[in-house]
Amino acid sequence: MREYDVLVIGAGVVGCAVARELSRYCLRIGVAEKELDVACGNSSRNTGMLHAGFTYKPGSLKAECAVEGNQEFDRVAEELNVPFKRTGKLVVGFTEHDRENILKFKAIGEQNGVKGMRMVTKEEMKEIDEHAGGEFAMYVPSSGILDPMQYTIALAENAAMNGAEFLFGRRVTGIRREGQRYLAETDKEVIASRWVINCAGMYAPEISEMLGYPNYPTKGFKGEYFVLDKKAGKFLGIPVYPAPNDKGGFMTHATPTVDGNVLVGPDSYVTEGREDYAVTKEHMDGLIEDGKKMFDHMDRSYFIRNFAGIRWKRYDPETGEILDFLLEADDAHPCTVNLVGIESPGITCALPLARRAVKKLAEKEDLKPREDFDPRRPGIRRFSEMTPQERAEAVKEDPDYGEIVCRCENVTRAEIRRAIRNPLGVCTVTGIKNRTRATMGRCQGGYCETRITGMIEAELGIAPEEVRYSKEGGYMFTGKVRDGE
Amino acid sequence: MRQVDTVIIGGGPAGLSAAVRLWEKGIRDILILEREHQLGGILRQCIHDGFGLTRFGETLSGPEYAQRFISQVEALGIPYVTDTTVIDITEDKKVTAASRDGMLEIQAKTVILTMGCRERTRGAISIPGERPAGVYTAGVAQSYINLQNKMVGREVVILGSGDIGMIMARRLTLEGAHVQAVFEVQPYASGLPRNILQCLDDYGIPLYLSHTVTEIRGKDRLESVVVSQVDDRLQPIKGTEKEYFCDTLILSVGLIPENELSLAAGVVLDERTKGAAVDEHHQTSVPGIFAAGNVLQVHDLVDFVSMEAEELADSVAAFLKEGQLNGCGLEVKTDGNVTHTIPQRISGTKDFKLSMRVKRPVKDCRIQLIQGGRVVGEKKMKRAIPAEMIQIPVKAAKLNEKDDLEVKVIC
Amino acid sequence: MLKYFTCIMCPRGCEITAEVEDGKMLSAQGNFCPKGQEYVFQELTSPMRNIASSVLVEGGELPLASVRLNGLIPKNRIFDVMEEIRRVKIKAPVTMGQKVICDVLGLGCDVIATKNVKAAE
Repeated sequence: MREYDVLVIGAGVVGCAVARELSRYCLRIGVAEKELDVACGNSSRNTGMLHAGFTYKPGSLKAECAVEGNQEFDRVAEELNVPFKRTGKLVVGFTEHDRENILKFKAIGEQNGVKGMRMVTKEEMKEIDEHAGGEFAMYVPSSGILDPMQYTIALAENAAMNGAEFLFGRRVTGIRREGQRYLAETDKEVIASRWVINCAGMYAPEISEMLGYPNYPTKGFKGEYFVLDKKAGKFLGIPVYPAPNDKGGFMTHATPTVDGNVLVGPDSYVTEGREDYAVTKEHMDGLIEDGKKMFDHMDRSYFIRNFAGIRWKRYDPETGEILDFLLEADDAHPCTVNLVGIESPGITCALPLARRAVKKLAEKEDLKPREDFDPRRPGIRRFSEMTPQERAEAVKEDPDYGEIVCRCENVTRAEIRRAIRNPLGVCTVTGIKNRTRATMGRCQGGYCETRITGMIEAELGIAPEEVRYSKEGGYMFTGKVRDGE
Repeated sequence: MRQVDTVIIGGGPAGLSAAVRLWEKGIRDILILEREHQLGGILRQCIHDGFGLTRFGETLSGPEYAQRFISQVEALGIPYVTDTTVIDITEDKKVTAASRDGMLEIQAKTVILTMGCRERTRGAISIPGERPAGVYTAGVAQSYINLQNKMVGREVVILGSGDIGMIMARRLTLEGAHVQAVFEVQPYASGLPRNILQCLDDYGIPLYLSHTVTEIRGKDRLESVVVSQVDDRLQPIKGTEKEYFCDTLILSVGLIPENELSLAAGVVLDERTKGAAVDEHHQTSVPGIFAAGNVLQVHDLVDFVSMEAEELADSVAAFLKEGQLNGCGLEVKTDGNVTHTIPQRISGTKDFKLSMRVKRPVKDCRIQLIQGGRVVGEKKMKRAIPAEMIQIPVKAAKLNEKDDLEVKVIC
Repeated sequence: MLKYFTCIMCPRGCEITAEVEDGKMLSAQGNFCPKGQEYVFQELTSPMRNIASSVLVEGGELPLASVRLNGLIPKNRIFDVMEEIRRVKIKAPVTMGQKVICDVLGLGCDVIATKNVKAAE
């Protein structure tokens, strides 16, 4: 039986950040994840914003962690080699009511400790981004954009480099206390651990109950998105958001991604299904209509993909009020940390939350720092980001860098090979995609997918029918067309 | 930096045909750059027959058709490199390519764009639903089955009646899969009539027009698709939904010219073809950069790709000899029944072949080319369908040098 | 009785209307060339088709060699011929035009390779 000091349940951005922060100490760490990779849930299904923290209630855990997470992110991105740009953000308004709302949130932001926010005139706005519409705006210099998948992968890889073990394809179905340890039953094996940290995202209420905490009610706010071609990206330099409504929510908006695409969305509607990620015609039609108001180039010829994410918010069933992030460690349930209702801005808050979770452990026992802890994750060098000189040198050093596999994103065989040999042992097609950007371009794998699956088979010595698209039952092939036998 | 008279980007049917013709015209300083390990382009995976009847007077499979040109290229000793991907072209015709042997930089006098086309994807047509494994474009499925020896599924539904989709319906059936049906959102098939017969009818595969997939279901592998009938605005009709249980969905929903490099070089594209706008010399908006084949307009037959590329080669040879080609200031305009034309610009002083497609099926029509109120070319057709590329030769003797050319379909 | 055909002899795909009595063609119209009449005649008596597929290659730089028939076979024998093709295994190198199965099932035509496959390095 596998035995750990700490078992983290869930390899979303919060679980991976917790594992990474724990890996600073001499602990045996396991991360149990039901999917075959990290960031398969809502950690990858969002806008990729590094939020500044001006819409969250002062004094809340959300506000505190968002501001803290925002301020440290330049260092984090550098340490973990995560694509990140501190672009700033424009929150634009047209009416006096918009101005009132913007000013209200500017005041909240200031109270939360968000730095540098200022109102700008139409002229100043145009200087910041020529494509921004609106009569006036609040400029928030600390907002940024990042690749949420790369970030989660980087946290996990860094944790793994520092000794944490990732156990994929293990859905926790029950937890029981036995002596001084917990036994977590999964669909594959029983895992023993002294501590359990619940980072199960949308399933956090279920895990919470398994640990003896309440099954906190959460409500799913689903949002759908369009991903637009990089050709549309040149029309959008920085995130331009409409003035928030009275509750601090934003209408459908367009956001540039750190890789140069444009995301249009999300809209927002309530869903019952924990993993109801299907996109719907009704909402796609709505996004097209609303998207056009915020982004002139919301054009069909730019559409390359759709996706949906769900923010599972904790709420008070009596008042209906949306509640703050919950991070608790109750002595009635020794050696547990329970994180529930972590939704947007979960990416921005992941590391601050992780530190607070680790602190709960540190309050109970002495944590011995690992002497050889290395906070840096090198990541895979991208051919597409190299200068001509660097490219020439890279090819000389490793000829695989001269073989373009994904034409749209200029991803080479060297990058795909390194991705297949990733430190977490993930080998799904989607996993390769999220690590390299191969198949993410406008042809959506039309050219490179056949090569990637071939490389997965060759590198790992597996049969075609063993290749997985993204999930355990997601086989790509039923076998060979012609079998030697 | 290496200097070359002509760089040909892509060693598929268009590139190879252009190369051979250029050589015959005395142009020897040629370099074909091909990203695959072999020449031949997409034809390598098109193993069905039916190619070459127009060009060679006999019916061949794709690989055989390609081999005719590959053999010529090899016999003539036309220089080519494989496993080399062009990643940039500048307006002054500097070509950058990547290969395992290193980064390649070439200064060309002329560049021939023959990169072919790519397939429209699920994302491009925004099919609602989940995102399981088992959704393939027809060309990807074709590559897996015909080149890589991998079977993509057993219970198949096909969306789109493009030729590759229908050909894959037959191919999958021959290999033991069960193809339940082909659905087409338009009220007419987008592929050729003979493929409906020999790929679908022959195997009892139904084709449903005015139907589309309105939902994809399945978390891991595809489990089913929901199909709805559509109205005349192509919108799904509520209440007509029907669920088909299947493990594979093949998409054959259109091809788009592959023009990332053309754009990098500053070539102006035509909104309608999504390929370069060219003149009667197949020259793009950038002097010295030419385009032919599916990178220019999606063809129905490879024979026409070869012939188009051969015409292009004549112009390139002339450009290299004379340093420029005569200007083409006259526009080719179309009416609402025509999707597009190639060329988009003419001079009025040179014979040329006009290629076009009709927007919707028409019976007993005349296609008229009109300049300054005079009919300068005409083709009568018993039946014109969008699946078919129509070609009309035009004689310079009939043209003037001042009026734009109008193309009309008269029913 | 009028019967309708789509000719598959060439990509033109003529729509042919034929007058048929007792399975015999009396007249045909709509065909652009004489092949259309031949086609209708053949369809009425015994429809013939070509098929393309692949055979397994041993020791080649590609796993498969594409094949087709160098003549037509009766439509109702397609799956019988596929069974034969499925059973074949050939050794690299493969040359285009090479006969893979001679006179398949005695139907009077051969299965031929349509691709060169070099031996693996």
